[in-house]
Amino acid sequence: MEHEAIEELLAGYVLRSLSGEDAREADRLLSEHVPGCARCRDALAGYRDVAADLALEPAPIAAPDVLLPRLHRELEVPAPRRRPAVLFAAAASVVAVLGLGGLAVTQGMQASDARRQAALAQQFVEFSQQPDTRQVPVGPVTEYGRPGIEELWLYGTGVPEPGPDMVWRVWLVSGSTYTFCADFRPVDGRVILACPADSARIDKVLVDEVPAGSAHTEPVDETWSSAA
Amino acid sequence: MAVQGGDLDDLELHRRLAAGDRGAFDDLYRRYAGPAYGLAFRLTGQQVLAQDVVHDAFLALWRAPEAYDPARGPFRSFFLALVHHRAVDTVRREDRLRKRSERASNLEPLRGEDVADDVVEETFLSSRRQEVRDALRTLPPEQRQVLEMAYFQGKTQVSIAEELGIPLGTVKTRTLAAMRKLRRELYRED
Repeated sequence: MEHEAIEELLAGYVLRSLSGEDAREADRLLSEHVPGCARCRDALAGYRDVAADLALEPAPIAAPDVLLPRLHRELEVPAPRRRPAVLFAAAASVVAVLGLGGLAVTQGMQASDARRQAALAQQFVEFSQQPDTRQVPVGPVTEYGRPGIEELWLYGTGVPEPGPDMVWRVWLVSGSTYTFCADFRPVDGRVILACPADSARIDKVLVDEVPAGSAHTEPVDETWSSAA
Repeated sequence: MAVQGGDLDDLELHRRLAAGDRGAFDDLYRRYAGPAYGLAFRLTGQQVLAQDVVHDAFLALWRAPEAYDPARGPFRSFFLALVHHRAVDTVRREDRLRKRSERASNLEPLRGEDVADDVVEETFLSSRRQEVRDALRTLPPEQRQVLEMAYFQGKTQVSIAEELGIPLGTVKTRTLAAMRKLRRELYRED
């Protein structure tokens, strides 16, 4: 790819205006090409500076008087833990578990599956690129969370296969409460999954190995943990 | 990016905030609530949504101050980018806001100093704002249009191309040209 085309993607990237294949290509360039290319690093830094300055263009507007007192009230309260019942209900609506290795349309895969997977991967890429995204290692995968956002992603490559007829089970742990998030088997060593949870409101993510299809009882083992 | 006096003040305030200093939080709020709210309102076009965006950004800052790394640039860049990203998320999630967002956006020639009377703004921010506005005025209309639609309306390049009835490649070309020109104008680079 010519540098002119790369810079077009970088400019769109800093403005958060890329989508689809362009966003995926920009993500690939940012991880594989830009770190080793002085020209692209300089361009990216320059465009980021410009984008930051654009944020100053709108005239400031006095925030509503109620906002600071509202914030003060919340600063005084530790991040509340959600009730287990709510947690469990939320966990039942896990949005995605897929292997990135299956992104291409392969034999036996429906085109709609590929589109859905590509869309989910795009969601993850956009989420992971937010400036307030925090990463926490959980064994061979990484937890991506944003404080205050009810969305938490796990992404990893080189994830080992669980045993035959077994799956990796992801739990969200808050105090003594274990909330099921998802079961998964990596595809070509890769996994990406999302849970509807605020990473700032859980103590850790725990992964254990369980028989596929087993009941979601509390974990008896801890293969990987974000607190380890 | 050049480090200004206000940026150094921000660094100290952020250091204190990270240590749990509520006074530092209030100082950063007083400094950035106005610009943040103005930016959020520009994108969302709704006071309630703008308030939520700013609220969430400040709360995220308090709960995870380590998300800002001073090595990556001034605090204002980090925080206003955080506000912008959350506002874009809101706009895209609330598709019904599109028309309101377009109404709120200002595609007319930029206004002069129109800071609300009750917003006391730091001099370094208002000074930089004027430089940004001056730089935007140097853009050809077609470049400024795609930039405004991308940044201030939260639209993707694909949707911009569809809306304007021009090829996606043209949107990319105009965007890059605009960013390059703004960089030259704002950072005096050749």
